Formats: sequence, structure tokens, C-alpha cells
Amino acid sequence: MPSISVEPAEAAVPVSPWTGMRGVAPVPSYVVMQPTTLCNLACDYCYLPERRENHRMPVAVAQAVAQTVNQWAPAVPGFSVVWHGGEPTAAGRTHLGALMAPFQRVEHHLQTNATLLDDPWCEFLREHRVRVGISIDGPPELTGARVDRGGRPAYRLIMRGIEALRRNGIPFSALCVVSQPRPGLAAGLYEFFAGLGCHALGINVEEQEGVNTRSNAQDGAAVAEFWAELTTAWRADPRVELREVEWALRYLGATLDGRADELLPRRLDPIPTIGRSGGVILLSPELAGFSDPRYGDFTSGNVLSTPLSEIVEAATARPAGWIAEYLAGVQACRESCRYFGFCGGAHAANRYFEHGRFDTTVTEHCRNSKIRLLEGVLSHARDH
Amino acid sequence: MRETTDPLAERVRAAGPGVAALVAEAERVWRDRAGSAGGRGLPGGPVWRPFEDAFPTFYQFTNRPR
Repeated sequence: MPSISVEPAEAAVPVSPWTGMRGVAPVPSYVVMQPTTLCNLACDYCYLPERRENHRMPVAVAQAVAQTVNQWAPAVPGFSVVWHGGEPTAAGRTHLGALMAPFQRVEHHLQTNATLLDDPWCEFLREHRVRVGISIDGPPELTGARVDRGGRPAYRLIMRGIEALRRNGIPFSALCVVSQPRPGLAAGLYEFFAGLGCHALGINVEEQEGVNTRSNAQDGAAVAEFWAELTTAWRADPRVELREVEWALRYLGATLDGRADELLPRRLDPIPTIGRSGGVILLSPELAGFSDPRYGDFTSGNVLSTPLSEIVEAATARPAGWIAEYLAGVQACRESCRYFGFCGGAHAANRYFEHGRFDTTVTEHCRNSKIRLLEGVLSHARDH
Repeated sequence: MRETTDPLAERVRAAGPGVAALVAEAERVWRDRAGSAGGRGLPGGPVWRPFEDAFPTFYQFTNRPR
């Protein structure tokens, strides 16, 4: 099998043509809420630092967030409140419902490991019109990293929850972590998810992040071949919205039309993540719960003492600390990486957890999930 | 107008008709999905937006949680 040649990202870009991703927008399109730090699983690759602690978000925090979100939402189509953990269902229906109650005219989204889902939960999800994303990594042999606290495989529990969703007619998307992308893997993986009944699938190549310190350096040709084969599988049966591959296809189409520069957002979405005690972390939810002598706890304020709108406006109008360093990093990506128009710059958390700072450029995550993705899709197109 | 360079775009355009054919197939898929929005989102919900609606935390493909 011929290996796919991957262009070095750092090759000089004579003059960057990319005009997007300059500065941070003052109004987000969604917020991320951490209803509890607790997770009932103990997955090998998890990045969350407090997953064994049951710290629940007080309702007062949700009320404070909603005061701002309810002002933002009418002006932003599909404004979303994303409930993300820990495991958000571990907060319990009563508490999660109380946290959702203050929000008006928003879309609620829930990312869950599915293990606690049953008919009453499905009724709750329907009643609150929640869009559901579940986390599963494929058939049992590929979901082996998802285990309970006793180290036992969680696959059966996950599938039981998914069956509850199916039984109740609740649509769901899926997120799949792939720890070792390689040739020969993609076809069976895609077939599994097509059979699962999810309407959309996101592939997350495992990252070195948070408390997961395993290296994510991979063989470049193998990763690109994985993406190429995944493209082949999707093309044969495109019933599942395949996030990464379709995003790459959108970029390739825009490139052929000469409008690729229109794809990147003009400014970065601030993505406020509200931790369980009201602390606000912008731009990078993965930084929640961490601190660093140089950057502090990465928060830009607390909604219990300052309105969320003021926190976001101040941080985006006058970037300081790690955010200013990150924006310098985005600019460095723009000036040095030929994939910037597709990527928009290395993610903040990947820079920090791989390099220890924010003004660096290409990361292993960039290589695995951006560069080799695009090269893999391109390789498929050349060969078919 | 300043001159810009996009070597990646040059490679895409040089990759041959296979890229255009693949993109055309994808665009048909996206049109079909938009036409069957009611079956994909919540009943009575707004029209399905490819990319944005499946993964609101991810659609910009930058800085997203997992």
C-alpha cells in the first residue's frame, strides 16, 4: 500500500492569504456548563482532573449565567447551552432540570457517556428538547478504554443507554475517540456507527491533554491512511454526518471555488465555559480545573460576582495573560502554516498541554486531526 | 490588492478531477439532508444546519471540548 506523503506544516508560507480568526468576538454562539465534576466512568484517556469528586453546580450559578445568555440568545440563531461534565447525567434529573430552568430560547445540548440513560431520562430529554451526543469508541474491542471505576468495560452499559434512546425515538450524535488511527480500522468503525443509528459522528484522535499525559505522537502516513479509508467508507454510504471528513470536503470545495478564505470565522468564538463554582474560562474548556504558576487558574472572572457579559467583553476587548499569548500563537500559525485556512490555528489546550505555553504553533493534535485529515481526504480523491 | 500565496490550494487544484467529483457528491448529500431536516432534528425544530447543528461545540472546528 503506498503511503501518503504529508506536507510539513511549518513550510514557509510566503504571504498568508487568510483574513479570518483575528481577535475574539464579544458574543459567543454557545456556552458550556459543567453541572457536576463527577463522572461514573474512569476512561483511560480522560483529561478531567476532578472526575472522582461530586462537586455540583449551584443553581445560583446557572441563574447568573442565564441573565446574560437570555440577552444574547435572541440575536444568535441556535444559541446553545452545552451541558458537559464530568458526566452531566450524574448530576441527576432534578438538579439538571433546576440548572436548565433559568434559560430561555436556547438549544440545550448534552454530551453523555449514556450509561445512566433510561426511560425516565429519555422523558426528561424530550421534555427539555435536549439534543444528545453520546460517547462511544466503536465495537467492544475499540471501546475498551471506556471502563467503570472498577476497571470493568463500560460497553454494555453504554449500549443499554443507547437502546433507551432508540426505544424512545430520541436522535443522537456520537463522539468516538481513536487512540491509534491506522490502516484497516476505518471501514469497520464507520460501519459500526452507521448501524448504531447515530445521525452524526465526530472522530477525536486521542490527545495529550489534562491529566492524560500519554503522548499522541503518531505515524503520519498511518494516520493519513486512516482518514483516507474513512472517506472511502463514508462515500460508499454517507448516511452519517461525518464531522471531520465533511468539514475537509467543505474546505476542498471552497478552495476549488476560490472562496476558502470565507470559511474561517472572522473572529474566534469566546466559548465561555462555566465551571461548577461559576468560574469562566474562555476559548478552551479543557483548561477548566487546572492552574499554572504562570497563568493562574485560567479564569477570566466568576459569574457570581460579575455578569458574564462583562467578563467576556473585558477579556475580548483587552486580551491579557494566557489569552493574549494564545492570540499571538494564532497569528504565528497564520504566518507559518499552510494549513491555517483549514485549521484556524492550533487549539489553546493542545498548545498548553503539549508545549507548556500558548504562543507556539503546530501540535501533534494539528498533525493528527487537521493536517493528516486533509491529506487523507485529498489522497482518497486523487485515487478514486 | 496585495498578492497572496496559498500553496495548499494549488495542490488541491492540481489533484485532478477526483476532488471535484468527491465534492459534488458531498454537496448532493448536504442538499438531501437539508431537505429531510424534520427527520433528523427534534420534531418541530428549526431546519437542520449541516455542520452547526450536529456538534454546536465543534462546528467552527477550533477550540472545542470533547
